[in-house]
Amino acid sequence: MAESPATTERTGGVPRWLRPILVLGFLYLFLVGVKGLETGIKVFGVDAAERIFGYVSSPVAGLFAGILATVLVQSSSVTTSTIVGLVGSGSLSVAAAVPMIMGANIGTTVTNTLASLGHVRRGAEFKRAFAGATVHDFFNVFAVVVFLPLELATGFLSKSATAVSSLLAGSGSVAAAPGKSPIKAAIKAPVALIEGSLTDLGLHRGWVGSLILALALVSIFVALVFVTRNMRVLMAGRMEAGFNAVLGRGAGLGAMILGVVVTVAVQSSSITTSILVPLLGAGVITLENAYPVTLGANLGTTVTALLASLAADRPEALTIALTHTLFNVFGILAFYPVPLVRRLPLRAARALAEVATRRKRVVLAYLVAVFVVLPLVGIVVFR
Amino acid sequence: MVFDLFSGKGESQIERIEQQIQEMLAACGRTIDIATDALFGRVAPSEVGETLRKSDRAVNRLEREIRRELVVHAGVRGASADIPAILVYMSIVKDIERLGDYAKNLWDVANAGADITGLSEFDRIQRDVAWVRELVDRTAKIFAERDAAAAQEALNEADAKLDEFDAMVIEQLTSDRPSREGVPIALVARYLKRISAHLMNVMTAVVMPLDRLDYWDEDKADRW
Repeated sequence: MAESPATTERTGGVPRWLRPILVLGFLYLFLVGVKGLETGIKVFGVDAAERIFGYVSSPVAGLFAGILATVLVQSSSVTTSTIVGLVGSGSLSVAAAVPMIMGANIGTTVTNTLASLGHVRRGAEFKRAFAGATVHDFFNVFAVVVFLPLELATGFLSKSATAVSSLLAGSGSVAAAPGKSPIKAAIKAPVALIEGSLTDLGLHRGWVGSLILALALVSIFVALVFVTRNMRVLMAGRMEAGFNAVLGRGAGLGAMILGVVVTVAVQSSSITTSILVPLLGAGVITLENAYPVTLGANLGTTVTALLASLAADRPEALTIALTHTLFNVFGILAFYPVPLVRRLPLRAARALAEVATRRKRVVLAYLVAVFVVLPLVGIVVFR
Repeated sequence: MVFDLFSGKGESQIERIEQQIQEMLAACGRTIDIATDALFGRVAPSEVGETLRKSDRAVNRLEREIRRELVVHAGVRGASADIPAILVYMSIVKDIERLGDYAKNLWDVANAGADITGLSEFDRIQRDVAWVRELVDRTAKIFAERDAAAAQEALNEADAKLDEFDAMVIEQLTSDRPSREGVPIALVARYLKRISAHLMNVMTAVVMPLDRLDYWDEDKADRW
């Protein structure tokens, strides 16, 4: 330790000054991806897309499709951005997309639950880590149980989102001003170029659409991975400071804001919630203090869908992105301010962790049942 | 607190931990001063007992804070966390925390009614305490500056001093003087030796490889 460790911060070989530029570049690629999704569907034929999504036209099937898709790509940001792109293309209605968005919220919780498995051999540590991971699951499941039936019965989420969306359109915001935005013009150009090049090759329209769709999905995925990776390096010092402050001062609104800010910065709620898992396992943060950070992460991740809506032409894209945000805002309002209700996800997570610590098979059964079997069966049964 | 996310340049929190280590060493220095003031009859032990305990609690709190911050550093940085630095800090904060405990032990000797001011060793013990106190400050400076040459010089000096403290203890063990004279001298020599040894452990972090932290006093032939 001849050198001060503070001077040996690792940057993964990429100069620090280059990372913000890379982030901007990958954000651009992300928007191009979302635009490509919209264009690909249009070329592919909206009718064909409607036939595909007809399989998940039932809200319950849509919910399970959202869970399964997110588990498969390990990122709710990818799923929600794809949904925004599909809604923007007109191939998926807002009503059909709402349960999918809710499903994505549940599906994303698998990542930190998997992260908690790193502590599985050490009983007390695992109990804390697993409870901290699954409190995210329980919050999202409870929120869906409350708000999906309400939304189906009244449409209050999508109606509220439509109202906010119209308000933004009235204010002439970037997201709601099709054709006028310089961002939209900048992201349309490469997509049009790719579409033109593929068409010039004399390929069948179905193939052109499929290729654009595939490229778009890869772009969204790659862009989000690299935005997250670079932002994590750029934000690491500030994230450490923020988490240290939360540990020192306890739970509350500050912890929630920390969750929002960190997640918006790294564009991944899984990063935020997975950071909490080892802290919970080590016992340096309590479940009560970690819970608001998790809720903040849930809210912060909705910014990705809002960003994606910048690329879409139809105002419905912004509506579904806002629905995602409002769902999480209402979820927090329902499950955080009242102490008695706040304790429900905490108690459920602690009870599950208690059982899981005693019988390790329960952990595997829980993961497979909730994140794989149930969604698959749900899609088949309710389609 | 959330504004911490927007303030500063976003450096690693290791910088903060470095500062906290300096704070810990400074607080330990103050604790030793309080304890030895009582031991040398400058103040009544009961008068400074609460101040001493408060100072020691501050050291303990800093130790726990640093440990938490190291876990956060590892959690946030993931694979890019500075693992060797984390292990070094975990090790040395324990050593620094022990300084406070031994300072309290020195105060305990005074509080138990021992009076060493009239003993023949008093002047020597005063010099030794001054040397130990200076070693605390030297350790802080050496660690902050990662001054390997100064560390080696201090370690050699301290190593010789440990032998002197041992000799003083053995001298009391084999002497015929009353226990009310021999026991306090032996205890004080023992506590000063432990304080010096823990400071040496901190300084080994500057010159020794990670796996040989704390092992300055063993295997002298392999030391360098």
